[in-house]
Amino acid sequence: MSNMTFAQAIKDAHVVEMERDPNIYVAGEDVGVFGGCFGVTAGLLDQFGEKRVKDTPITESAIVGTAVGAASAGLRPVIELMFVDFIGVALDQLYNQAGKMKYMFGGKAKIPMVMRAACGAGIGAAAQHSQCLEALFMHLPGLKVVMPSTPYDAKGLLIEAIRDDNPVVFLEHKMLYAVEGEVPEGDYTISFGQADIKREGKDVTVVATANMVHTALGAAEKLAADGISLEVVDPRTLNPLDGETIIASVKKTHRLVILHEEVKFAGSGAEIAAQVAEEAFDYLDAPILRVAAPFCPVPFSPPLEQAYIPSEQQLIDAVKKVMA
Amino acid sequence: MSLVGIIANPASGKDIRRLVAYGSVFDNQEKIRIVRRILLGLQAAGIQRIAYMPDYHGIVERALDGLQVDMEAERLQFDTKADQRDSIKAAHLLSQKGAGCIVTLGGDGTNRVVAKGAGRVPILPLSTGTNNVFPYMIEGTVAGLAAGLIATGKVSRKEGTFQSTRLEVVIEGEVVDIALVDAVVSTDVFIGSRAIWKMDKIRQVFLNRTSPASIGFSSIGGMLRSIAAQEPVSMYLKIGNNGRPVTAPIAPGIIETVSVKDVQLMADWESVDIHFAPSVVALDGEREVEIKKGQEAAIRLSVNGPLVVDVEGTMTFAMKREIFAPATSIS
Amino acid sequence: MDLTNEQLIKMYTTMVKIRTFENRVAELFAGGKIPGFVHLYVGEEAVATGVCANLTDKDYITSTHRGHGHLIAKGGDIKLMMAELFGKKTGYCKGKGGSMHIADLDLGIMGANGIVGGGPPLASGAALACQYLGNDSVAVCFFGDGASNQGTTHEAMNLASCWKLPVVFVNENNMYGISSCTRDSMCVPNVADRAAGYDIPGVVVDGNDVVAVCEAAAEGINRARQGKGPSLIECKTYRHRGHFEGDPCAYRDDAELEEWKEKDPIPRLEKKLLEMELLTESKVEEIKGALQKDLAAAEQFAEESPFPDVSVLTEDVYT
Repeated sequence: MSNMTFAQAIKDAHVVEMERDPNIYVAGEDVGVFGGCFGVTAGLLDQFGEKRVKDTPITESAIVGTAVGAASAGLRPVIELMFVDFIGVALDQLYNQAGKMKYMFGGKAKIPMVMRAACGAGIGAAAQHSQCLEALFMHLPGLKVVMPSTPYDAKGLLIEAIRDDNPVVFLEHKMLYAVEGEVPEGDYTISFGQADIKREGKDVTVVATANMVHTALGAAEKLAADGISLEVVDPRTLNPLDGETIIASVKKTHRLVILHEEVKFAGSGAEIAAQVAEEAFDYLDAPILRVAAPFCPVPFSPPLEQAYIPSEQQLIDAVKKVMA
Repeated sequence: MSLVGIIANPASGKDIRRLVAYGSVFDNQEKIRIVRRILLGLQAAGIQRIAYMPDYHGIVERALDGLQVDMEAERLQFDTKADQRDSIKAAHLLSQKGAGCIVTLGGDGTNRVVAKGAGRVPILPLSTGTNNVFPYMIEGTVAGLAAGLIATGKVSRKEGTFQSTRLEVVIEGEVVDIALVDAVVSTDVFIGSRAIWKMDKIRQVFLNRTSPASIGFSSIGGMLRSIAAQEPVSMYLKIGNNGRPVTAPIAPGIIETVSVKDVQLMADWESVDIHFAPSVVALDGEREVEIKKGQEAAIRLSVNGPLVVDVEGTMTFAMKREIFAPATSIS
Repeated sequence: MDLTNEQLIKMYTTMVKIRTFENRVAELFAGGKIPGFVHLYVGEEAVATGVCANLTDKDYITSTHRGHGHLIAKGGDIKLMMAELFGKKTGYCKGKGGSMHIADLDLGIMGANGIVGGGPPLASGAALACQYLGNDSVAVCFFGDGASNQGTTHEAMNLASCWKLPVVFVNENNMYGISSCTRDSMCVPNVADRAAGYDIPGVVVDGNDVVAVCEAAAEGINRARQGKGPSLIECKTYRHRGHFEGDPCAYRDDAELEEWKEKDPIPRLEKKLLEMELLTESKVEEIKGALQKDLAAAEQFAEESPFPDVSVLTEDVYT
């Protein structure tokens, strides 16, 4: 075990896998010499050389599309989309090509690729560099969607993602890059579709993703002082989604609040709420509440941006409401 | 009112020699810009009327668009075929309309077909093709000035043009096609991608102009003797093993040593039989005529080639006549 | 180029095979046997045939919505194709793909593609894999004049040139993107003109002359195999039928179609091979007869095959 940041853990996963499998290449804008926009891939170029760590032009469709083509022809690409917002110019290659190939071809294609992308607000990057888009990817059959919240999860999930034979979207909330935690040396994997209970509790289940897991844990600490016990569940992967763990938690606490940074309307929480409503309605003692961003683009001005990001206080208020 | 014709081939500069040699992809924006400069040159030389070959891209229309020239521009009316038939047709119509000069943009291949339709109208050929001998590599503005001088008669045809020779492909006594620079017999049986570059299949080479400073097959002969465009002589080279090694730039970036078994000079109207059938005859660099098994075919030199504007000569006459530099009385 | 008699007859046979298949598909579609919609390759056979004559099973192709010809030329099995067009369980894609998504990865066919411009990045990606693995294979991207205006095509060519990928972009310029004529949709007269912008060779060939296509493709493919990078070959051609079956083609006139029919690649090669005495009338009949027989067998196979069971509806989404 060693203490490392979320960014270092992701890089560590690259190193472990690239040493193991010579057919893995990394490509993206500024991933080589520059080390990645957030420094995640720093050092990979020196270690693995230009053949395996490829700086690309600013050409998202080609970055994603060549990965799809290369994956179907025997390689295992790990590509970086600098900001998830850029998927707009490359989405066809991801959802119409990578996501659908296996099905369209009657099961014969195998597209082992990972698309990493930084997401989330908090650094004043404004509307086109700050959004969370996990629900968009969840909506597309053929893709898997991973959204870690800790360095430990990030490394284990990325290794799993690289070894997976399907296209995986790996979402990294940029406010997490500097978060530190204990991470094992060498290789280990975390299976997809296994939620992690980040804090056990008995009164209210809070399902939170990425950065919001930490917000939930902060709120849990404060509410504990008021005698309210939160159980914080981190799905870790949104597709596949571990509904079972969430439902089991709700059956125990009888109350559910969902916390995520993407917009509330048709966000990932809507799917979680619907599954719980379908499977565990009778166990609920209060309506399911969602705490999420308002339905607007991410604003630039610091007070507006802070107002956009769901806060600990908003979560506390929601918890109190379901407890009332 | 003097009329100048413009035939700009949208397809020139795209053949396989970009792949097999080091030819440039000649973009059509450059052709449009060249046409603009020609038009401005023509205007300065006093031309107020032009007619042009329609093409699917509208090179001349695009050139005219946004250009301030006071000129009547007629798009020749015919059903375009988007192949070399258009150039012949346009040249023919221009000749009928009494054009005083036709400016062409293309390569040797383009000019070969224009020559087939132009009759006695002088051609001013500008190079936009691949390995060109016939057309000039000169600035379009100057070409426009020279074409204007010829068309208006400010410089007479006698002064500013020359009659080129041509090679005729004769099959069973009929002239089926012509070449302006070279005719090459290859044992290929297909026209295929048209261009010709593989020396190992070439058996007979006919050149009606050669220069040691030219590119293409004419450079092979050019390493032995120069033949000017109007000189009533052509050179016949028999290619085969154990001949005289001649090193020449046969295509852009391709310098090869060719084994020449025999060299003969041909006089006007002299012909040499094509010894191979089936075979393909490439004319000015493009495989064009198939010689079928059993056919009797020959290549003949003729002095009845197209009338070509001598740009340097025309401009020199203009200088001597002070057309662009009238003397003023200094008080 | 030096083509053996066998190669010439094979190219002729492939073109006739595509034509026969497509003509029958048109009839079957009109007769209601084939659901959805189909885009036929009639008239363009020389392109796929001339290009694929230079490829092996280890080379990759990406195809288009008008993909039947590419599949057949690359060695696809018409039984499995026909069954797929019928939506049958025994089809190439178990009936899940249909006309626009037939693939055979074992033959290097990375799929027809319903998205115009979907293929070029995939082809560059396959070429990247070839280069990375150093396996001497290449990728060929078939794309139409419509796709040439898509951003993906630009991105794929630019990246392929930057990285010297072993890919040949084969443009099938049939002059129309559905109803839009290239006159109005392209700012340059030739797709090959754009090669200058990528610093790659760009050539135009007669796409209705299979020998011309084969010759140019051989050069582009050899260049790619030698590590000299991508090239762009534009094949000027024409589709005899509409964009899809049932298209009334109000956007083009009959005279234009008739003119192109005169340049039909199949009679052109047939005439030449007859002249060269590589073919005889009876050999032509023999070839056509054998193809008809195979086609009838494919149709029967498709007809008699079962539809997929609905229980497989959600299978094959993930590995």
